[in-house]
Amino acid sequence: MLRFTPVSFVSTLSAGVLHSDRTSSFRVGDMLHPQGNSPRSSRSVAIVGAGIVGMSAAHFLSRAGWQVTVYDAGVVASGATGSADGAVSVASKKPGPLMTLAVAAVKFYEQLIAEGVLVDEYLPRSTFVVASDDEELSVLERHAGELEAASVPIRMLRGTALTEVIGAAAPTAIAAAEVQREGHAVGYRVVERLRRLGGFAIRRNCRVSGFTSSNGHITGVITECGTEQADAVLLATGIGSMHFLAESDLIRPRKGQLIVTDRAGADSPHFPGPLMSCRYLVSKGSQPANSAAASRSLGLVIDPLRTGQFLIGGSREDRDDRETADGDIVAALLRDAVALSPSLARLRVIRVFSGLRAATRDGMPIVGRVGGADNLWIATGFEGDGICLGPLMGRLCQQMICGEPPDQDISALDATRFRLTLAAAA
Amino acid sequence: MSEVPSFLFDGKAIPHTGNETIAAALDRAGIHTLGTGQAGCAGRYFCGIGACQACLVIVDGTRMEACLTPARSGLTVKRFVPVSS
Amino acid sequence: MSGPQALVIGGGPAGVSAAVALARAGIDVTLCEQGPRLGGAIHRQPDDQTQSVRVPRAHKQRWQALSDELAASTVKVLCRHMFAGIEATGAVLLEDRNTGRLVTRRPAALVLAMGAIERVAPVPGWHLPGVVSAGGLQVMMKSTGRAPSGAVLIAGSGPLLVALAAQMASLGNAPVAVLERSPRLMSLRVIASLLRTPAYLREAAGYVGTLVRAGCLPQRGAFVTAIVPKDGRLSVSVRDRGGRERQLLVDRVALHDGLLPNSNGTAAHPNGPFLVRAGDCREVLGGAAALADGRLAAQAVLAHLGKRGSDSTGAELAMARERQAQAALNTLFDYSGRDPTELPDDTIICRCEGRTLGQLRAMLDSRDPVSAREIKLNGRFGMGACQGRFCAEWVAAFVASQHADGSPPQSSEIVGSRWPVKPVPISAFVTLPPSHPSE
Ligand SMILES: Cc1cc2nc3c(=O)[nH]c(=O)nc-3n(C[C@H](O)[C@H](O)[C@H](O)COP(=O)(O)OP(=O)(O)OC[C@H]3O[C@@H](n4cnc5c(N)ncnc54)[C@H](O)[C@@H]3O)c2cc1C
Ligand SMILES: Cc1cc2nc3c(=O)[nH]c(=O)nc-3n(C[C@H](O)[C@H](O)[C@H](O)COP(=O)(O)OP(=O)(O)OC[C@H]3O[C@@H](n4cnc5c(N)ncnc54)[C@H](O)[C@@H]3O)c2cc1C
Ligand code: FES
Repeated sequence: MLRFTPVSFVSTLSAGVLHSDRTSSFRVGDMLHPQGNSPRSSRSVAIVGAGIVGMSAAHFLSRAGWQVTVYDAGVVASGATGSADGAVSVASKKPGPLMTLAVAAVKFYEQLIAEGVLVDEYLPRSTFVVASDDEELSVLERHAGELEAASVPIRMLRGTALTEVIGAAAPTAIAAAEVQREGHAVGYRVVERLRRLGGFAIRRNCRVSGFTSSNGHITGVITECGTEQADAVLLATGIGSMHFLAESDLIRPRKGQLIVTDRAGADSPHFPGPLMSCRYLVSKGSQPANSAAASRSLGLVIDPLRTGQFLIGGSREDRDDRETADGDIVAALLRDAVALSPSLARLRVIRVFSGLRAATRDGMPIVGRVGGADNLWIATGFEGDGICLGPLMGRLCQQMICGEPPDQDISALDATRFRLTLAAAA
Repeated sequence: MSEVPSFLFDGKAIPHTGNETIAAALDRAGIHTLGTGQAGCAGRYFCGIGACQACLVIVDGTRMEACLTPARSGLTVKRFVPVSS
Repeated sequence: MSGPQALVIGGGPAGVSAAVALARAGIDVTLCEQGPRLGGAIHRQPDDQTQSVRVPRAHKQRWQALSDELAASTVKVLCRHMFAGIEATGAVLLEDRNTGRLVTRRPAALVLAMGAIERVAPVPGWHLPGVVSAGGLQVMMKSTGRAPSGAVLIAGSGPLLVALAAQMASLGNAPVAVLERSPRLMSLRVIASLLRTPAYLREAAGYVGTLVRAGCLPQRGAFVTAIVPKDGRLSVSVRDRGGRERQLLVDRVALHDGLLPNSNGTAAHPNGPFLVRAGDCREVLGGAAALADGRLAAQAVLAHLGKRGSDSTGAELAMARERQAQAALNTLFDYSGRDPTELPDDTIICRCEGRTLGQLRAMLDSRDPVSAREIKLNGRFGMGACQGRFCAEWVAAFVASQHADGSPPQSSEIVGSRWPVKPVPISAFVTLPPSHPSE
């Protein structure tokens, strides 16, 4: 028989003082006493979804003194957050409000590191967008110009500079834009850190199916495990948000397949940061396609992970069969990857997985109030950008729910652009 | 030809019988550490049936299980040493 | 449809007997084996026919008969062909190690007969070079026809310990000691239940005779508590039945705590072929059962294809007999491993990722019961190249012992279930021809 003595919660946190929080002065040490023994707050909030957005909102709302319960139909990070790459990147963003928010999101990660909230979960580095032919080069130059206009530091690499910085790139690479001051964060690690900091309760395997309400005011959530009261509700349900909204085709699943290799050795390529093929910009819709060939939805990113492994991905398919990955797509991604960096061929594929991004009709996230209730908020539709935007969005949701002015202008994401209302079933 | 058939392991000639695996030939040569391993545990022969992946070596540039790969003269076999980024 | 009507994976007794039975019924069969030769675990063939390990005559005859049937059949045999899984559209992926290419096949039926893998219970130092699984040591010995060199200690639990020790002794290098965790001795009751399968009694008697002559009978109730490197050798701490500790200095340690089906990623796929598992890959019952189970798998495939096979009563009776024999044998052994509360925090649990028991303990939180998925992702347990084959069971057991209530994690939640079932070189992947040439 296996026996096991319960061990006490071992923490690796430093008990440093955190500053720069407007709503409350707070110590990391205070958060070491999670669920249960926090003082009963006057206001309670139910957060539906334990992805990066819901968990970040839970963190900031509990810091703001709310009594927070997070509900998830599965477990922590069982949605897109647990099956994503983690580019905290401006490089691939569409020019406009999304690019501006991404710039703020990168700064917010840096701030959370400085405050000791996310200690080891963010790795600063550059992204390299590589062009392999003249057509890709023109896309690259246009995109680099737009990034510069958003005051993102860029360095164009050509000739010897290119081979010095990314020697592992194929000889066919003609130029690369080094997008500086970005980083990488693993979604499930970020939420694990927030979970460990505690201050809120998590209900796993507890799907929320609807709400109790009176006079246009939500009074509680109806869950698989019973009905619980709440003074406010935040839907951070990713692709699951469709269930709650009257207009159910507003958010569509966009599947992505990703490949994990074994560790790099002395025999394998070394990149100072992720390599992104210019085609990725096109597949993501960040830049329009010049030709039909370029518009197929295989955008390539070769991401060197901290473990020494590489994450190679990903496809963009309008499908929702998350559990499967297919040989054709994986082989096509790997062919593109080897074309971009031939020595990758020496590594082995150890895992293939896929995730579903929540894509909105206009390609912009939805953050704001849902019509029909005065205390129901939603933050969803982050498609391929939620790891980057997640912590910032959690913070903005907290400000929104607390009735504070938001740090960033998110009017472009406002839910009212779709006149969102609750589904009858919810 | 009287020359003993052999392959190179990290530059050293390792004799083989012509019908055995790389793992068997290395074991006979007294070599038990097959590399630094993927994450801290040294490369080594363990299960013998391709399941544990501990015996990974680089055979002519491709990573393979030493316990499943036949030794052939002229092969260049290298230890796997990871580089952490 | 491309490829054969039936694809059989695994060249042990289960796979070969399934393939032969299918071919006999007129089915077009291809048999794939990852290794360079057929035989599987029990009938592993020597590298050099003149140098081989003595095996029981019944084993030899069984394999000879099967090999003859195979040679006379129309089965197409592909060695160094590794099954890599079934992808989303239902195609079977095969890695051809001879050419370094990945190919797809779309058979109507797939028989998976990939045998068993060994269980090895974690103990401090089990990840060191020189520590092998008992089966691993036996594979080496059966292939080379030589006893492993140096001083060898065999420990754990199960009939394989005795078989390995006796085979080593016959080849002139008896182990320095054989430690069998279970204190139970062969009883009259067990002997009585084995009377229907006398081959086991004969085999056991033969091994025991050899070990008596070599003076190394198993020490019952004894086990290894730690292994540390010392002067290029291994210093092993051993605890006997009376609780006394002693040190042994050896060159190799062979560990073994039973067998498990090698069934990672072998679930049927909705778009894939009709799938049957056979032999140890389905249920660990040993070589005689594997042979019978291969026939039963063939029957299932034939029924699916609407063909009549031969009578399977004999195979079913054999399965029942072997199941009873294994159940009786298992009462003599103790596969539970060390009590984890007695293992130090620096004991490696997941060897691929170098993760320790202490790191696992630190992840468990009595106030917030983390799920298997969270442990896997954040702790990296089971995330390495062996895909949890050697740690998932122990990780799940440790966590379950900690979760007093709620649903304890299953090892299936930690072990990899997706393709590729084994790491596949990218160089092989890029050769995979697109199934839709327009792509
Ligand atoms: C393949 C892939 C690659 C990606 N790469 C990147 C990248 O490099 N950079 C980047 O920034 N982003 C990337 N993303 C996007 C990013 O992963 C997502 O945008 C982000 O994780 C969304 O977080 P979320 O919290 O909104 O949703 P999710 O993580 O999906 O969380 C929603 C949660 O809600 C739960 N839920 C749903 N309905 C209910 C209900 N009724 N009751 C209770 N719980 C419910 C779900 O179980 C789930 O856990 C990628 C995504 C994919 C799929
Ligand atoms: C290491 C070991 C040693 C054993 N020693 C003995 C013994 O001495 N005596 C005894 O009675 N029993 C022994 N057993 C038990 C043994 O498993 C059964 O007796 C018997 O061999 C089972 O037959 P099988 O056909 O089901 O599987 P196996 O005989 O194990 O055959 C499975 C075959 O499948 C192949 N294979 C596995 N994965 C793949 C893949 N992905 N692609 C292609 N091919 C693959 C393997 O190389 C192997 O040849 C041992 C088991 C193990 C694991
Ligand atoms: S020794 Fe286990 S895979 Fe080779």
